[in-house]
This record gives sequence, C-alpha cells and structure tokens, in this order.
Amino acid sequence: MGTGPLRYVARARPIRVTCGHDGTPRVVVVAGRGRQVVSVRDEWLVQDRWWTDHPVDRHFFELVLEPGRVMVLYRDRAAEWFAYG
Amino acid sequence: MIVAVHLPRFSLLVALLAARQPLDAPTALGPPPGEPQVIGLCTAAAEAQGVKPGLRVGEALARCPRLELVTPDPDAVADAHERFLVRLEDLGAAVESVGPGSACFTADGLYRLHGGLDGVLRRVRTVLPVGADGRIGVAPTRFVALEAAFQAPPRRPLIVRAEDVIDFLATLPVARLPLPAKLVAALFDLGIRTIGAVAALPRAAALERLGFSGISAWKVARGEHDQPVRPRIPPEPLEVRMEFPEAVGALPALESAATLLVTQLADRARARGRALRSLVIRARLSGDGSFVREVVLRDATTDPDRIALAVLPHLVRISAPVEVLIVRADASGHEGGHQLTVLDIGRVERARRTGEAVLQTRAALGDQAVMRVIELDPLSRLPERRWALVPFDTSPEPGRSA
Repeated sequence: MGTGPLRYVARARPIRVTCGHDGTPRVVVVAGRGRQVVSVRDEWLVQDRWWTDHPVDRHFFELVLEPGRVMVLYRDRAAEWFAYG
Repeated sequence: MIVAVHLPRFSLLVALLAARQPLDAPTALGPPPGEPQVIGLCTAAAEAQGVKPGLRVGEALARCPRLELVTPDPDAVADAHERFLVRLEDLGAAVESVGPGSACFTADGLYRLHGGLDGVLRRVRTVLPVGADGRIGVAPTRFVALEAAFQAPPRRPLIVRAEDVIDFLATLPVARLPLPAKLVAALFDLGIRTIGAVAALPRAAALERLGFSGISAWKVARGEHDQPVRPRIPPEPLEVRMEFPEAVGALPALESAATLLVTQLADRARARGRALRSLVIRARLSGDGSFVREVVLRDATTDPDRIALAVLPHLVRISAPVEVLIVRADASGHEGGHQLTVLDIGRVERARRTGEAVLQTRAALGDQAVMRVIELDPLSRLPERRWALVPFDTSPEPGRSA
C-alpha cells in the first residue's frame, strides 16, 4: 500500500442558499450563478453520532434546480448549507 | 509531531561555495543565462545595502556598487539538495522534499529509535551542513512546522505545541498562507495583514472573501487542518556523463552526445533488470552556470530510441556551450515486454501491468495521483461515510490490484 491518509469520497462542500419564510431553499448558487429551486423532491432529517464530540444534525433536501439538475444538500445545526457533488 | 528543516538561502550558499566567495560579502545570484536581467537571492550584507531579490541588475548595482554577482548553478543545488535529503533519510525518516534546502518528516516513528523528540532533534542537528545556519521547526501540522523552521534561530529547534499553534501563527504575515497572490492582495486591500486576522474571520465571512478554495487556508490559519507529509520514494539513480575537451554549442553535436548517453543508460538499466522511469538532463555550461531539466517518460522503458525522443527536444533550451553533459535516471521501473497479446493475459499479468502504469503515473504526478475507492459503511445515512479513497495498491498479489 502506498503512503497517504484515508480520504472520504463524497465530501460535502459549502454552498450559498437563499431560503423562503418556511426555511425551504428557494435559490441555490451553483458555479457563481443563482439557480431557482423548481421543486423539492424529498427532505429528511439525520441525527447521528450524538454520543460523540461531533454530533450530526442535518436537514437534507433533494432539489430540482432550474435547468433540471437534481442536487442533494443539507443545512447543519449551525444553519450553514452544504451540497454533495 | 512533524519536524521541518530549512536551510536559508540554499541556492545562494551552494553558488557561493562553488565560486569560493565569502558568505559575509555583499553578493547576489545573477540572472541565469538567457533569463530576464534580475538578481536572485542575496546575502545579508547585500540586503543591508538595499538589494533584494527581483531587482533589476542595474538598479541593484546602483544601490550597492560593491555587489558581486555569482552565476546560479541549479545542477549543483539539485546535487546538494539530494545529499541533504539522503542524510535525513539515513536517520530513518520518510522525508518530503519541500523545495531546495527544505524538507519535513513525521518524527513519531523515530522516538524509540533515537530516544524521544529530543533525541531525534539532536540527530537532525548533526546532519545539517556546517555554516549553513540550518533552522529546525517542530509542530503538530506540516504548515506550522515549516513556518516554525522559517522563524527558528540557527540550529536551535523552535517547538510549537498544539496549544500554542494559534498564538504562533497569529502574527505571521498573511502572505505566508497557501493562497493565490491575487487573493492575498485582496486581503491586504481589506486591511487583513496577519494570519491571526484571517483566523478571526467568521466562517461565513471567510467563505465569502476567500471562496471555497480559500477555506482550507482559513482552516490552516486556525491550526485545524493541513495536508499530511507526503514522503518521497527514494530513487534508484543511474548516471552517465560526457566531458567535452572543448565546450560544445552546436545542437547536432549535443544531440549525438545525448543519444549516446541514453543508450548507455538504457544498457545499464537492462543489465540491472530495471527500466527507466524518469531522467534528469544536466549540463555544466562554459563560464559557470548550469542547465537542468527533468523528463518523466510516458512509461518505464529501456528502449533508447523512445528515451531519446523524450530527451532530445529539451537540448534546444541550453543557452551556452556545454562542458559536461550528464544524464541521470531513476531506474525503478520493471523491465519486460510491453506488447499486447491476443490471448487472455490473465488476472496476474493484468494486475502487474496496472501496477506498473500506476507507478509510472506516480513518478510523474506524485504519490496521491492514483487512488482506489473502498467501501466503509455503504448503508450509512451520511454520504461521506460510505466510501473513502486510499492509495492504489500496486503489490503483485493476485486479486488485489486487478
């Protein structure tokens, strides 16, 4: 085996999101351009690792953005947004 | 803990030693042959007269009429740096080369060998060249260890404990962070001059000002995240040289000499049962100075024609007559037929060829160039915990790399 640490594949990256009054995403900034959210296909909560110093508390959304792109993103307990892919 | 070692003004030091010039006189590296007329590194005595790297030669001489210029010698610098790395590796360390005269390694595995961190540092001090004012920095992360080495007094290690990292970084200039120059200039315009000021930014503000690429630098500023030490794989060198009775400037003559040298190299590699992965062409130029180019082959080979095809185009860049032409090669490749076959070559052979291709890619792009995806917890509700990347295994065991 070569040298080097283990790295996660699907790391979420920070993303800018504008929400509506109900807290659901309305606009997502992708590659510097604001994309309207066409529909929310699904949403779910994940609360995990609460027994550690780094508990996970995420509100996931599966969205369809303006040109038809599907994106999974989440809001963490600090109200910051992250996206996969 | 990570130990970083830094030899200040390394290129200048090597050139001064080669030119037998004193270290305390106002001296600077002159422009390399064929390059813009600006000076390189300079001694402290020259700096005291207002000379600094990047000045045009005329302006530097106007500021310091006694300034002596020495010709840079990248060939001798590469040699000296290699010796420096080998001496550190002789301590048992897996060393990462950070640049000429700078290196770092993880010391944890050496504590039992040398008697703790103090023992390791004592041994490191013994391998520093005498008179080079070597600096040693120790810290929990690579970036902080290197910065500690830059700040350390000569030959006295500067140890930054985990709890002191933020205070240590706070006063350093923001330009030390691994950020593009344009972003550093933008931070200056905003009045952010120190790493401490960057670390004090809220995450959202840092994201807005630095962008996604700068978030890792923001984490570095807070002592949270850093890239690990990536030790080199020590090469298996082969070297051939040709000394000309009179300096040779004609390209056809140089090409003939280079062709002869790569043929000799290929023969020697074949005799060892190895193949060449990469080559370094070095030329000592007439009237001081040298030329260095590294060539990484597409795949490991001992075919002199293919090697010559990769080497010869670089000879055009040599800007002065050559006194000595040297070709050095890393012969860590495996010799063997590379032709494809119409028969089923089998898993073992496929694995061998894949492993060989991976090693060649790593020779060109570094150890992290080819990775394998492994399953960690495929049913995890957190997507990032499902799969991970690990370095691709090139061991010849059947089924591992196929």
